[in-house]
Amino acid sequence: MLDTSKVFEAISISLHVSFVSTLFAFLLSIFFGYLIATKKFILKKYVVSVLGSLTSIPPVCAGLIVYLIISRSGPLGWMELLYTPSAMIIAQFIIIFPIMVTLIINYIEREYPQLRDELISYGASQKDILFLLITNQKGIYLTTLLIGFGRAVSEYGAAAIVGGSIDHVTRNMTAMIALETAKGNILIGVTLGAILISISLIISFGINFFKNDD
Amino acid sequence: MIKTKIFFLIITLFVSNTFAKDYIIVQSTTSTANTGLLDLLSEEFSLDTGIDVRAVAVGTGTAIANARKGDGDVLIVHSKVDELKFVQDGFGVERYDLMYNDFVILGPNNDPAKIKDKKNILEVMIVLSSPDYKFISRDDYSGTHKKELSLWEESGLGIPKDSSYIKSGSGMASTINIANEMQAYVLTDRGTWIAFQNKNNLEILYENDKSLFNPYGIIVVSPKKHPHVEYEKSNKFVEWLLKGRGKNLINNYTIEGQKLFFTYN
Repeated sequence: MLDTSKVFEAISISLHVSFVSTLFAFLLSIFFGYLIATKKFILKKYVVSVLGSLTSIPPVCAGLIVYLIISRSGPLGWMELLYTPSAMIIAQFIIIFPIMVTLIINYIEREYPQLRDELISYGASQKDILFLLITNQKGIYLTTLLIGFGRAVSEYGAAAIVGGSIDHVTRNMTAMIALETAKGNILIGVTLGAILISISLIISFGINFFKNDD
Repeated sequence: MIKTKIFFLIITLFVSNTFAKDYIIVQSTTSTANTGLLDLLSEEFSLDTGIDVRAVAVGTGTAIANARKGDGDVLIVHSKVDELKFVQDGFGVERYDLMYNDFVILGPNNDPAKIKDKKNILEVMIVLSSPDYKFISRDDYSGTHKKELSLWEESGLGIPKDSSYIKSGSGMASTINIANEMQAYVLTDRGTWIAFQNKNNLEILYENDKSLFNPYGIIVVSPKKHPHVEYEKSNKFVEWLLKGRGKNLINNYTIEGQKLFFTYN
């Protein structure tokens, strides 16, 4: 019953989309996280609070917002992004960026003041401090990556709305689970869920392996 | 450095989709997707012509709304009144009869409401409107939901207001799953039911009534309203379905030896 080539296809779509969205969200989280945590500016408290509240954005809402923007009648309709993996990447980015940036802000806010006083007395530049913040505690960044990826790869609502669950193109693991369950193939749905968790487990092991390198 | 790298990453992310769009988007219903027909037709058409078909399966109401916004090239749905209105409003070029099957009423096999021996569908609806029997409605403006609404209206009683009338808000097969769990009655198209894999003790309790006819129409979205529509490729697809190999594929599509959809001659 379970067509393995379709499963592999869904796995590769899931991994591709979630890797890219996690990578983007991670790079921008470091950039903005560092800026927000180290600079003083007006409304800073509010920016941090808003980002914090966005960590609980319902995936379906994120999907709808992206849908309105990239629909043919939306402002970015001409880019033909709807029902493509890129659309799913954008939607997942919106879901996981607030989570990742909040984690990183928290970490830098905790470590930075102490590190700065110490390092500036040695004549270190801002760049060196940023570099040290990243290399000093790889574990925290790896955990952030893992949390972001886990959220991205497991969500269904957003990717389904903007991806459309199209065979071969945007039907990722969660869309396939939903479709098979809808067809009444509940056992296949559960099997696919188990495969998805196994993949996450492997990735988690891999990341923890690096973490223990410190 | 990092900035330029990120910039190029973003560019490659988008360019891969923007160039050379060699596909058409078909907005269609959950019944054609849950039965597997849409996937089969998409694959075969792509083999025959090299044009990919990206099929989006939502309810008829959503499909039409999406097509109105320009998010689709072809529409395959089953609510003739809405289809004709879509064309009339200038969003579609023309509506063609694509295929048909029929609706049936499912329920628990002990048939507590005794609808099996009713003379016509309106009598069935009158019995099912009673608070004693659960009925699950799609409630999503799909073709099946609209059919159900028109049946309630024809029965003269209107939509039941009591708690035995349950609104699922889900696709066809998900709704049958719910009917299964709640031992309720439900209206479905026959194709979805045949393809459904979790039948348990549900079965067809009422069928073969003239007013349960379920025609599917196909419409190409008008390039006058949405200039980006892949008009020629879409017409090719429609022709392939109405006269070409697509028609045979629909006619020969069976699950467990049963035909799901029929084409017109």
